[in-house]
This record gives sequence, C-alpha cells and structure tokens, in this order.
Amino acid sequence: MTDEMLRAPAEVKYAEELDWLESIDDGPKPFSWRLSPRMVRLFVLGSERSDGLDREIPQKWFGDRSFVERSIVTLASDRGLLLIGDPGTGKSWLAELLSAAISRNSTLVVQGTAGTTEDHIKYSWNVSMVIAKGQSRDSMIPSPIMTAMEGGVIGRFEELTRSTSDVQDALISILSEKYVSIPELDDDNIVFAQPGFSIIATANSRDRGVNDLSSALKRRFNFVRIPVVTNKRSEAEIVRFRTVELLRRHRIELELPPTLLDILLQSFADLRAAAASARSDDEKLESALSTAEQIGVLEDAILHSNFFGDRTLRAETLAGSLVGSLARRQPEDLAILNKYWHGVIEPRSKKDGGEWVDFLEGGRQAIATLS
Amino acid sequence: MTQSPFAALREQLSDAAAAFAGTPGALSGILSGMVDDVDRALGEQLEIFPVCHHSPGSALAMARRLRDKQPEVIYLELCEDLRPVLDELRNCRLPVSLQAFATELDGFPDAWGPLSVVAPITEASAEYQAIAYALDTPGVELVLVDRSADHVFQWSPQEQPDQPADAVGMEIGDLRPRFAELEEHLLHHGKVRHWSEWWDQYVEQPLAGADYDTYRQVMVLIGSLFRRLGPDDAGRLARDEDRERYMWTRMREHLATSGADPERCLYVCGAFHAASRVEEFGLAAERTEFAITPRTATTWLYGIVPASHSAIEEQFGLAGGSVSIAAATFAKAVSRGGVKPYQLKEHASKRPARARKAASPVRREPLADRLSGFLSRPPVLDELDEAELLGWSVDIVRLARRNGYLASTADAIAVFETSILLAGMRNRARPTPYDFQDAAVTCIEKDTVPGRRDVRRLCEILLGGDRIGEVGYTAMPPLAQDVYDRLAPLGFDLKKRAVHRALLDLNADPALAPCSHLLWILHRLLPDGAVRPIMGSRRLGERSVQESWDLALGHHQRALIELGYEGVTVEQVLEQRLRRRVWDPKATAAVALEAVEDAIVFLGSRRLTEELGARAVELLAAERTVDDAPDVLRGIRRLLAHYRATEPALPDWCERFVTTGYAHYCTLLPSAFVAEDIGVRQVAAMLGFLSSMEGLALSLGCDRAQLELAVRQSHPETPGKVALLWGAQFRLGVLPLAELRERCDELLANPLVIPSFPQYISGFVQALEPAPALTPFVVEVISNAFARLPDEVLLPWLPMLITTLRQEAPELVPVLVREAGRTFPGTLAAVDAWVPPWTARPAPRAEARPVVAGGPVAELLAAHPAAIDAVAALLGCEGGWQPLGQAVPSGSGPAGALLTRHPATVTAVAELLGGGATS
Repeated sequence: MTDEMLRAPAEVKYAEELDWLESIDDGPKPFSWRLSPRMVRLFVLGSERSDGLDREIPQKWFGDRSFVERSIVTLASDRGLLLIGDPGTGKSWLAELLSAAISRNSTLVVQGTAGTTEDHIKYSWNVSMVIAKGQSRDSMIPSPIMTAMEGGVIGRFEELTRSTSDVQDALISILSEKYVSIPELDDDNIVFAQPGFSIIATANSRDRGVNDLSSALKRRFNFVRIPVVTNKRSEAEIVRFRTVELLRRHRIELELPPTLLDILLQSFADLRAAAASARSDDEKLESALSTAEQIGVLEDAILHSNFFGDRTLRAETLAGSLVGSLARRQPEDLAILNKYWHGVIEPRSKKDGGEWVDFLEGGRQAIATLS
Repeated sequence: MTQSPFAALREQLSDAAAAFAGTPGALSGILSGMVDDVDRALGEQLEIFPVCHHSPGSALAMARRLRDKQPEVIYLELCEDLRPVLDELRNCRLPVSLQAFATELDGFPDAWGPLSVVAPITEASAEYQAIAYALDTPGVELVLVDRSADHVFQWSPQEQPDQPADAVGMEIGDLRPRFAELEEHLLHHGKVRHWSEWWDQYVEQPLAGADYDTYRQVMVLIGSLFRRLGPDDAGRLARDEDRERYMWTRMREHLATSGADPERCLYVCGAFHAASRVEEFGLAAERTEFAITPRTATTWLYGIVPASHSAIEEQFGLAGGSVSIAAATFAKAVSRGGVKPYQLKEHASKRPARARKAASPVRREPLADRLSGFLSRPPVLDELDEAELLGWSVDIVRLARRNGYLASTADAIAVFETSILLAGMRNRARPTPYDFQDAAVTCIEKDTVPGRRDVRRLCEILLGGDRIGEVGYTAMPPLAQDVYDRLAPLGFDLKKRAVHRALLDLNADPALAPCSHLLWILHRLLPDGAVRPIMGSRRLGERSVQESWDLALGHHQRALIELGYEGVTVEQVLEQRLRRRVWDPKATAAVALEAVEDAIVFLGSRRLTEELGARAVELLAAERTVDDAPDVLRGIRRLLAHYRATEPALPDWCERFVTTGYAHYCTLLPSAFVAEDIGVRQVAAMLGFLSSMEGLALSLGCDRAQLELAVRQSHPETPGKVALLWGAQFRLGVLPLAELRERCDELLANPLVIPSFPQYISGFVQALEPAPALTPFVVEVISNAFARLPDEVLLPWLPMLITTLRQEAPELVPVLVREAGRTFPGTLAAVDAWVPPWTARPAPRAEARPVVAGGPVAELLAAHPAAIDAVAALLGCEGGWQPLGQAVPSGSGPAGALLTRHPATVTAVAELLGGGATS
C-alpha cells in the first residue's frame, strides 16, 4: 500500500512498527488509545538500549523530550493541544506522529485557511441526497473533526490561526461540551464525542496576528511551543533523516557527502546569527531559516544534481539551491546573501579550502544570475 | 520481585560504565573496582560520611547520623584557614559564602590579583548540618582539613596567565561527571534535561527513605564510578589526590595531638573523595608521609559575604532554580517529620546550650549489604506529596493571575492532573518539582507572556524563589561596621534589602555633614546603585547645602564587605586605591590629576595630594602621547583655580607641573600637528595649555621663544589643524587678523576647498581654546560662509558642519553661540537694517601725525634732540622731527570749531594759566 502512495501517512508507513509496539505494550492506556503514553513517546522519540526492547525503534521527531511528553499528557487530559512555532519546525509532523500512535489515524485533518467555514469543522449536507431523501444522518457529510468525535480518535486542525475568528470559535463548544448538535434533524440530532477524542491544532507563530485566538479558545488548549532547532547535532540528524526519506520517495540513488551537510548547517547557523542581530526586517532574510527550509534546499540540490547534473551532489549546486531558495525579495534578500557570501564564505573558503571554494563559486554565480 | 527504587540508578550506572569502559574486560574491572571502593570506604576505622553538594538527601542523612552517633570530632572537607569565620555564621541569614581574599600577593603572579575563594553554604546542605551541630554542642570539635586558600592557588596550573578572573568557587562534595560526554550520556538515557534533575530522580528520590548504610553505599558507588570514568585530565586528578593526602595527613595529625578516639569522629567529604584510592587513605595506611608545602607570604583576609541561590547556580553551572528546589525538598522532608535538623542559634538568644551529651550515642552496627535489602521494598507513597502538589497547583494559578495570565481554577485542576500524568510517563513515583513546572507551563503558558515573568519563572518563585543571604552586623569586617555606625544618624536600618531615600539638609542639620561626606566616598567606591545621589553634587569647590540620596546598601552588602578586605575605613581604602591607580604602569598624567582632585575633595590630606601631584609631574614628563591632553588641561585648570582660591601660594608640584607641561607640549607640538593619529582636539588642548598657562610658566622661568619656535616648526596638512595653526599664529601675534580674513575669503572662493571648509571651521572653533579673542572672527567666518555659498552647496554642507562641531568641539559651541548673540541683532526688524560689523570697516585713516604743540617744552626738545632721538631709535619710531612751524593749526578740526563757537571757557582757562595768547 505504501508503495502506491506518493506520501504515506505515518500510521501506514510505520504500520508494522505500531503493530509490534501494541503487541508488547502492557502499560495503562487512557480511553481508547492504541498505545500507552510511554509507548507513544517511544514511537516518536525512538528507543534506547535501556528501554529493553527486542528491536530498535528509530527516532522520528527530533527535539526536546519534554515537548513530546507535554504533548502526550495534554492529549490524555481534557484539553486540546496547540503546537505553536515558526514555520518548518516540525509541528505538523509531530501532530501526525502523535495521531498515528494514539489512534492509528492521522488523516482526519481540517486545513485552516481564510476560506474555512464552520461546515468544515462540524458538518455539511449532500445537497442531492437532501433533495431526494430529505435531511437525515445519511445525507449529512460529517467533517473530519466530527468523524474523530464519533470514533473517539484524534482530529487535527492545521494552521488554526489562518481561519477566521468565528470559525475558530466553533471549536469552543466541541472542546468544552464534547458534542455537536444538528438542529436540522428531529431525532438523533446530537453527535457525542467518544472517549479518546481530542484535537491537535497547529499555529504558525509568525502569523499569530492574522486571526488571534480568543481567550475562551486559548483556555481550552494547552500550548506547546516548538522552537527552531539550533542544536547542530540534532539538526544534522533531522536533515539526514528527512533527506533519506525524500531520496527513497523519489527513488534516487545519490550519496549525501557529510562535508556538504556540514556546509549547509554552518551556512544556516551563520544566517540565523545574522538575522538575530539584525535591527530591521530589511536587514534579515524573509525566510525563517528553519530546519524544513534546509531540507528544502538540500532536496532541491539533490533533484537538480540527479536530473541535470552528473548524479553527484556538488557544492556549487548546493550553493545555487541555497541562494535560489532564500533570495525571495529583490533586492533585500539578494543584498544580504551577497554580503554574506563575500563577508563570510569568501574568507572561510580561503582559510578552510575544500568544498567551501566550490560553494563560494556556485553561490557567486547564482547571485550574479539572479541580480 | 517488586521493582526497586535503585533499579533505575543501577541500570544507569552500569550502562554508563559499559558505554565508557572501552574494552569489554575494562567493564568488569570497573564494576569490581567500584565494589572494592565501597568496601574500602565503608570499612575504614574513621567513619566517612560521603556527601554531595546541594543535596537535601545528604543533609537529612547527616542530621540523622549526627543525632545517632553524637561524634566528638568532625573533620570537614573545607579550606582549613576558613575555620575562624565559621563562628560568625550564626549571625547570618543563609545562603552566604565564606570568603578568603587577598590583594597583597607574594608568591603569585601579580596579574592573578586579587585572589578570592568563596565557599557557599546553604541551609539544605550536609556541611551546614555538621557545622551547626559542632558549633552548638559543647565539647564537639570541628576541624577543617582541606588545603588552605593559599594552596588552592599554589596548586593551580601556573601557566594560565589569566588565572582567576573571578572568585574561585569551592564546594563541599562536588559530585558531578567529570566530562561532558558522560553527563550527556546519563541525561540522555535518564530522559532528563539537566544534571540536577538526574540527581533528583535517580539518587535523591530513591534515597529519601533509605537508611544510613544504604545512603553511604550508594554515594560511594556513584563517587567511585565518576572517579573511574574520569577524563584523562591527569592534572586535575593529581590535584584531587593531593587534596586527599592533605586531608588524611591533617586528620592523622589531629588524632595524634588530641588523642581523640577515631570511633567518635566523623569525616565529612565529597563522595568523590570517599572513593579515593591514594595510598595515604585510611588511618591504617601504610604510607603516611605527605609533605605539605608552606603557605606563601600572601596576606589572606577572611570574611562572610551574602550569596544567593541564583548566584550559586550560576557559579557552579547548575540548572536555574535547582538550588531553590533542593531547599524546598529539604524543607518538605523536615516538615514531614522524622528528623530534626540542626540550626545555629543566634548570639542574641544567649540561651545556654544544653548538654546534649546525655544522649548516648548509638554504636555502629556491623556493616551489612543494605542495598540489596532496600531493593525489595516498594517505594513509599505519601499523602503529603499529594497535598503539597495540590497546594502548588492552586498557588501557581493565583500567582499567574497576579502576573497577568488568564488562569482559573480549571487550570489548577489541569496542572495537578498533568503533573501526575507527566510523573507517570517519566517513571517517577510521585511528581517532582520539575514535573510540576512542566505541567504548569503546559497548562498556563499561552502564546505570549503578559507580564514580566513567564510561568517557568513563577514556578521558581513559588518553589522558594531566589533566596538571598544576609550577613549580620557582628560578622562583618570593621569597615562595614564603621560605615553602618557612621550612617546611623540618618535613622535608617541600612542592613535591610530596601532602597532608602535620605534627605540631608546640611544647613538645618550640620551634624549630618559627616554622613554626607561618607556617602560621597561610598558613591566613589561602591558599584553603581549602592548609594546614588539624586540631588546635590560634590566636586572641587562645590558643596551642596541640600542633598538627597537613594541608599541600597542592603542590596550591595557583598560589595561593602569586600571593601572591608582592603582596609579598616573607607578613607583608607580610597587612599590605597588612589595610590594604586597612579602607580599603575598604565597610569597617565590625566589619571593622576584626577586622583589629586579626588584626594582633595574626599580626603583633604595635603601629604597625599602632594605625593599624587608629584607623581602626575613624573607621568607627564614621561608621556610620549598627547591623547589625554584635553583631560590634563581641564584637570590642571580646575586645580589651579582651586589653589588660587584657597591657598596663599601654589603648591610646589603644581608649579613644576606647569613648567614641565610647557616644555613638554612645546616639544611635542610640531610632531602632533603632523601626526595622523592625533586629533585636532588634542592639539588644541596642547595649545590651550601653552597659552593659558603661559603667564605662570614664564614667571617660573620658561621661555616664550620655545613656543614661537614650536609653532614655526609646525606644518600641518589637514584642514582642521591648518586652521588651528592659524589661530595659534594669531594668538602669538604672528598672523594679523586682516591676513587671516583674506585667507578665509580665498578658501570660500575656491570650490575645491568648500567641501572641507567645515573642517577649517572646526579647527577655528577648537582654536578658541588657545585664542579666545578669535571668537568674533569665527562668527564672521561662519556668517560669511552662510552668506556667500549657494544653497546647493550650503544645504548638503550644513549637516556635515553640525556633526563635525558636535563631535569635535561640543563644549566650545556655546561660546560661539553667545558671541553670535552679541553680534547679530536681537529683533527681526533690526535685521533688515543691520550691517555686519566686519563689512562696515573703518575707512583707512589718513596718515595722522601727532599734533606738535609749540611751547617751551617743544622748543627745549628741539634744541637738544639727542635724548629724544636715542629714545626713538630704541622704540623703533621713524619719521623724524617735524618743524615746529608746520604744526597743524590748533583751531582746526571739530574740537577747534567747537571751541571757536564757545570761547568763554577756553579764555577763562587761559587766564587761569596765565597764558595771554588766544587763537
């Protein structure tokens, strides 16, 4: 099944692992959870030798252990979970892993946009059926959230702050009363949430001002802030993990040289430091410089090398991808990159040599092309 | 078998041992070695009590053991020379730090000074329990056995040039993995975030209900593991081993001299040292000689300074809040009962200490393997824990609400529930403060922090906050006591941690004058904020009649106490500091002049000012740069003004300073004019010195020709300095104003020079320092520039002028503005009719010759011209004699016309004088 999908959801991708964990799990499970909280943590963060398992469970989300623990206990409590952080910090991935581990279904997702309506959160009607048979449970189209309520599983709400305030507020009663009433029906007109239902929402901290949450809704969510990964080792792990996955998905046989990974990480670390010391928005790149951005740069470079190069990832290509991905505003971003290239990369290439020299050249060419 | 409380710890340690042992054979060696270490430490005749710093478990075990054993001698791992200050602990509120301090070094590199060793003492520590027991129980002797503060530095690597940037922190029972990888391994596998949390989860909690033997076994086991898995830092291990030899040597010496029974003694040391493998270990050691090197001649001073939990955490790299949490854990264990901790009684209470010796000591039972027995017992769950957690949950919500959070009772329930869930997930028998903190953050913290403190910080406050210690009056050095005594007339309790506003009306209450004087000295010596003047100032020649002060000595007690290490009174400290400052190799003449000023203002000692002044002369003569010339000029001007106003004659050093400065600056002037790295400001200050001190210098024997020559040798190239040179030439009378005006007109007419014209103006403005008479001319130059330059040149040029003047001559601009105010008309109407004084130049005067009056005098001189010719030749007058007959008629001119019209007066005067002739 996995082979037929471009991107399999976590519960499909790790089905075998989840089955195995479920089979050995003897810990207490809240509500209808498929795994106990400790096993959920183990699934997300991977196993240690001290866990005493017969097989190794790989780490799937990289970040502070306490974030995962706090997220899991929130889901076991009465409140919804709101993962908040900069774009590309792995919020949605964590939400997907948690849903897959807890309820084996991570696809009950509502995507918050400016066009999201209350129908997307509660229910809507199949107009043809309503005309043919009238309003009934059969002609009703439940939203993913309602489906999650009925099944006692985790529902997800991506980019909560992008939807308008009145739509957001529809969640208040769902999270408080745990039921949705359907006034159009005469009987069987209340859908009660089954034990195990909860909501994982994500919100982008950069867009917080778009549609700020009401205090009433905030109170019903526990906030877990996911920071940008700045630990070089963790970041290298994440980039490697995700890139290998992407390579597998694209069926590309290409080696990722560690030196190039180091160059990528170092460049991002430098640019983040520069952004942190910038005094105005014009002095920093528009990009959040998140880990996902790094993965994007690397993926771009890999695909470029594979299809237009000699199937070897080179420093020039990586530099070109980096410039191409980060130069969004003309001239501000390009000016910053130009300054960085000549102020930091050039001296470094002279000092350290190696791949930095090609990286310098590739970046220069890319900047020249875009200028 | 039930899961044991120590199972997790055992697994952690054995995993760590396996991970870092290297080869498989090494692991078994380490494990058996650990067992040997435990065996050895626990089998020692002198009872060893292994401790860990900031461990409530250690403190509780110590309190229990002291009550049971009632030892007569306690040997403590603490610098032996700190012993006398321990008695003062009873006058302090903990946490405080014992401090050894040295500024006069002898035997250490000077760059190391001042040397400082601090040993923080908190209430929730085993060492405090031992100290409190020993000091409050009659007949018990407390012996500190670790190396002295002097040895701390003797044994530190000599090659580090920047050795002690800050105080060296000493902790009793420093037990922590010695290399980062091991700690990281333990944290990672223990699924905790930082070391304090690891210790709490894997050692403190399981040890909470353990008996004494179990406690000792576990602690030595951990110490042994960390010792065996230490990094290859041979130097550090060697130092530790030397310390162990030192301690055992001292204990053996004491036992031999005092004849104490080893069975009634207790040796309190870090678990790391309890697992020592040095040959000198144990009373029955084969090798007992260890040569203790004598101390250096460095003078050490001892005292107690206040400490705080946060300062301790920062100094020893502990996680934020961990010391507070340890204190809270200790307090909880005490309130739970079962053990009564020792606490030093204040001197004030003066209660006779009860003879506690009546309680018969419990004999030590034969050693048994307690560890295995303990493993079979289930962890004890306590109702108190639940009540405590409930209390915390309610309190944090209250605290959060007070800090702007929208928290409610529902949040309290959620925090409580989440704490339990988190503890369960983290495999803890009961929620720890760390779980509670995480739960509170999860449930209360939203997207923004509404107030100044976030939930994590609020939790730290709730769990005890940052406790700050206080040193009692009697425990303070004489200087601090003296300060408090002398400030007593102000009527504040300055020991309190508050900011007091003191209002001093020195006219109404002259008795407060000494307080004011002391406050100014403290303001000069203590860090910012300790004593802050709100109103009033104290400078040379200035004295306020009313002053207002913010006094926060309670907050800066440590700074005040450390001042006490430098002297007995603040005056002495200030004198020493001033002396040190001027004798510093990097001292300059400006610094020395400043010191002289301070000495006059604060100390009033003539002997000291003369000494400092003499040093200023030396420094000035030896200076090769003129960077400080502006400061020197200002300083000496102030001092001269002071001496002229207060003394009948200038002090000798002042005269020497002026003459030396005159010669010195004359010599350096030509090179300063051309040197690129010397600014216009510096050269202007040199010229200012030369011109304003000229009168005094010439009267003291200097030669003006030296200055004239120096100016003539100067050939500057930059516009600012060129203008300055012109100013100097004008001052010396070499360059007439008309020529100067002509040069400026040429500059303004040259479009190539216009961009640099502000530099010229800046130079002219600077030249006001040596040549104040140039002020009207500078106004004229600027006005001309404004009048003549076209707008397209002038407008871009103006900001540059302003910034140049602001940067280079801020203090002279007001002079210029005043002059401009005098020159320009005050009203708008007058502007239209106004003609600049420089354009309304007087018409060239006709060659006016003196009117030669006739009369007997003129006739006499004409008859004998030799004397007048000689005088004229001497004065350089030319023109020769006018014949008397060509005299201008006396009636011509306006005066003549007037007299002709009104002759009566003149006639009367002529008659009076007896002259008959009238015109």
